[in-house]
Parts: sequence; structure tokens; C-alpha cells
Amino acid sequence: MASTLPLVRHAVQRSRVGLVGWSAGVVAASLLYLPIYPSMGASGQLQSVVSSLPAELVSTLGFDSITTGAGYAQATLLGLIGFVLLTIAAVGWGAAAIGGEEESGALELTLAHGVTRPQVALEAALALGLRLAVVCGVLLGALLALDGPSELGIPAAHAVVGTFALYLLSLLSGLASLTAGALTGSRTASIAAGAAVAVLGYAFNALGNQAEAASWVKDLSPYDWAFSPAPLANGLGNGAAGGMAVILGLCGILVVAAVVGLSRRDIGG
Amino acid sequence: MQHALELRDLTKRYGTRTALDTVSLTVPPGSVVGVIGPNGAGKTTTMRLILGLIRPSGGSATVLGADPWRAGPGLRRRIGYLPGELRLDSRITGADLLEHFGRISGPVDGRFRSGLVDRLGLDPSRRVGTLSKGNKQKLGLVQAFMHRPELLVLDEPTSGLDPLVQREFLALVREAKAGGQAVFLSSHVISEVQHGADHVAVLREGHLVRSARVADLRDEAPRSVRLELDHALTEAQARALDRAGLEILAMEEAQGPAGGRVVVEGRVSGSPAALIPLVAELAPRDVVIEEPDLEQAVLGLYGRPGPVHAGVRHG
Repeated sequence: MASTLPLVRHAVQRSRVGLVGWSAGVVAASLLYLPIYPSMGASGQLQSVVSSLPAELVSTLGFDSITTGAGYAQATLLGLIGFVLLTIAAVGWGAAAIGGEEESGALELTLAHGVTRPQVALEAALALGLRLAVVCGVLLGALLALDGPSELGIPAAHAVVGTFALYLLSLLSGLASLTAGALTGSRTASIAAGAAVAVLGYAFNALGNQAEAASWVKDLSPYDWAFSPAPLANGLGNGAAGGMAVILGLCGILVVAAVVGLSRRDIGG
Repeated sequence: MQHALELRDLTKRYGTRTALDTVSLTVPPGSVVGVIGPNGAGKTTTMRLILGLIRPSGGSATVLGADPWRAGPGLRRRIGYLPGELRLDSRITGADLLEHFGRISGPVDGRFRSGLVDRLGLDPSRRVGTLSKGNKQKLGLVQAFMHRPELLVLDEPTSGLDPLVQREFLALVREAKAGGQAVFLSSHVISEVQHGADHVAVLREGHLVRSARVADLRDEAPRSVRLELDHALTEAQARALDRAGLEILAMEEAQGPAGGRVVVEGRVSGSPAALIPLVAELAPRDVVIEEPDLEQAVLGLYGRPGPVHAGVRHG
């Protein structure tokens, strides 16, 4: 073999423009939200706005602790706009990786070369993980850089844990897309699977926050596993480590399913 | 001698539909076999089975001595493949794409690759998305040939190529053959394969309806015959011509400048040698015997009701 991980290289090379775009997106979102914290959250203005909102809406949006720096960054950046941006990137890359390639006919040509199907699935997953890590790394950089000027007071270690939680959450959606592609060969099914994981996770979390009787549905929500422990405020404590371990475990299962699924199937019909 | 490719009763079913039905054929090293057939005849299915992209429902394919479904990447490094519907990533340059395929196929000799790029007249510095269909096809050909594989599997290789490049492609095929490489290529028209291929396999609705040397196919292909006579044929003359192989399709009188004459149009399959003395006796004003029409011969095979020669092997 002339080089290591040729498929990862190819995938990353092809999405250079996308990588730059998504990175710029998370930086712009950080710049949009974080610097206004001192004038909004810390001054009590935001508290009065939040108090005037219906309690259900506040808990749906996760604005309960919005008056602290960690709570504000969680509610606006990691839990909302960052979550949306990274989920779209992850589902897009995950759906393109196998389902999209197969539908376009490109996968057929790749598999006609000197690669194995497990290698194709594993390198696709690795390329997805790498690209998301780059965007999350940029997001973490923005968070750390703006922490002081924006008076957020988030310890660097907690910022790392919080961003990593978002990373795992988006990776899970992306891998759901990738694996659906490996199992079905359909790009549409891939997008649906990844979007379902993200949307249902968010909805279950919001629903569980609204009513005591429905709080059990939160236990089904990866969004809840990642963010309910408030990693920006508490770091790895408060159950964050356990929640992230569960997401990581699910990611592992999805990768295995992708390898097995792609290896057994007719490609290109 | 081990065959580069050996299909035995190869069958592929999708649900109740049979895409390929007990097809057997062989491709020895250093030979070129063309498979022709209308769309949906099973050409692409055959190629996907050879590449191990899909699993046979029955029978077997042996490719360079291995079962392609079970074989590892080592086998596919020894194969060059051009898919029928070529889809290449449009966001990177041709050079980057060839570099990528080079990393996942057999070792590529950079000089040989540049030679191919030059001969086909390809500009590798352009982004793939800006290339015409023909230029994308050239990229596909380069990636199939560049590692000098033992077996080339080319699905409709000349589609989208202009005549000059088609000629260059035929030269590449001849050189591959001379170098001991085996070539298995497909087309929906025989004119594209008759110059490059030694053997032709005709597929129709998943059946192999004919497998023959191109020369044999040409020998039995129909030729148009046109005779211009002073007088109408007598019954005896017509019977004699018929026995010599001429199928008379039309006979009509025409007024020429030098008085009345009769034009006989017909068709002869195989050699016209038996006709010639009979025609000479008729003292015709003009005789036209055309080249054999392979297209017509093959269209005749497409139209046959069943698998006439299914299971016949050659090579």
C-alpha cells in the first residue's frame, strides 16, 4: 500500500471548502452570541426577559441557568446554534460518505480498487470524526478566546469537556447517517436517520423538561445525556462522563453495524 | 493455461427478475473479448459480478484464479475497471483524482500514466467538474489502464469519445493485448468492438445468445447483393441463385437510358463465392456485393426467441 488511510485523505481533501465554511460558521456564531453576555446576562437584563417567558419555553430552550456565563454559553452556543451547525455538517458528511457515494455511482469505482469494504466503512467513519473534530476544535478555540473578554468565567477544562460533549453528540448523528447509508445505500435514508437522531434527541429532551410525568423520555435523549450534566459548569462531574461514555458506546455500535452492513451487501444493484 | 476470466453458469437474480442466466465464457490472457447487447441485457451486471461488487445467485466467476466476491484487495489491484456510468468527484483536479486512484490500486508508473494522459489529450490540471463528458471518460480510462492491470474490465469504454480518441483507445487495447493483458469490454453496438475484439459474446435479456470469434461472425453476417440485368430472371435462374445462398428480396423493372432493365436486390449470408459463377452467366450490367453487415447479424440475434447458444463456451 502506497500510503496510509488513502480514503480518509481523499475525503478530507474533497471537503476542504466545507471544512473552512463550517469552521467560519462556528466562529461567527461564537462572535455573535458570546460578546453580548456582559450586557445581557450579567447585568440582569436577560433574567428579566427570561422571567417574563412561559416556564415551559424557558426549559425547552434550556435557558434555566442563562444568567451564569456557563449557562449562557451552553444555552446559546453549544446547546442551540452550535448544535444545529454541527448536526447539519455531521449529517451532510455522514450521508455523503457511503449512501451518497453509492447513489452517485462513485462507491462502485472505489470498491473496484485495492480496498476492502471494512476499510471503506472505517475510513469513512474516521474521516467524519476528523472533520467534526476540526470544526469542534475551532469552536473550542473561539470559546476559550472569548471567555475572558466576554466575562463568561468558564474554566478551560470545562470548556474542553463541553465542546467534547457537543462533538460526540454530532458524531452520533453523523454516524447514524453513515451507517444507514452502509445498510441501505440510500442517501435519503442516510439523511433521515441522522436528522432523526438529532431532532428526536432534542425533542425528547425538551419534552422531558416540560412535565414531571414525561421526564422519563429524557432518558432516551442523547442531547440530554450530553448536556443535562451542564459540562461547561461542572466539567466531567454530575454524570457528564457517564453520559458521554454511553454516546461513545453507541457510536462504536454504529461503526460495527456499518462495517458488517457494507460487507454483506450488493453494491450498485 | 489459466484464464484471466472464467464464468461458469454465472447467474444473478434480483428478487424474481433474472438479470443474468447461466452465462459461461472465458477470456484467456492476451485476448480481447467484447460483450454486446441492448440496454438491460446483463452487461453491467456481468462486470459487477467480475469485480465482486455483487454476489452471484448461482454459478461462479473466476477472475485471475480467484473468486472475486471473497478475494481481498490484492485481486482488484490486478484489475482495471471503467464503470458504465462514470461518476467522479467534481471538486478536485484530474491530477488529484488520478493520484487518489493510484494510492488505492496497483503500483503506478508515473511516466506511463503521463504517457496515457498525453495520448488521450487530457488536461489534468482542470477541476473534474469543469470537464466535458468525453474528458471525464478519458480520466476514467487513464485510471483503468495506468497500473497496467492483468485484466481490464471496461463498460462502454468509448461512450462520449470523439473518433480520434476512439482510435487512440483501440491502440491502447491492442498494446494491452500485445503485452499479455486480457480485456473484457462492452458496448451496445458491435461497430465499437469489432475492430478491437477477437471474440464477441452477445447478451440478450440475461442470456448469452452467441459467443464467437469476430471473424466467424463476419463470415456468416449477411451481405447485401444488387444485380442489374437486361432481362427478368427465369424461374430456373431464380431457383439456382436461391440454392447458391441468395435470398431474393425484391425484383423490379426500371427504365434506363439504354432501354429496359431489371434490378434484383437480395441478401447472402456467409461467403458469396457460390454465387459468382451463376451471376457471371447472367451477364449482368452491374453487380454490387457489399461488406458483411455485423450490425445486421447481431440485430438478428437480439430478435431470436430464445437462448440459442446459451452455455456455449469459447476460448
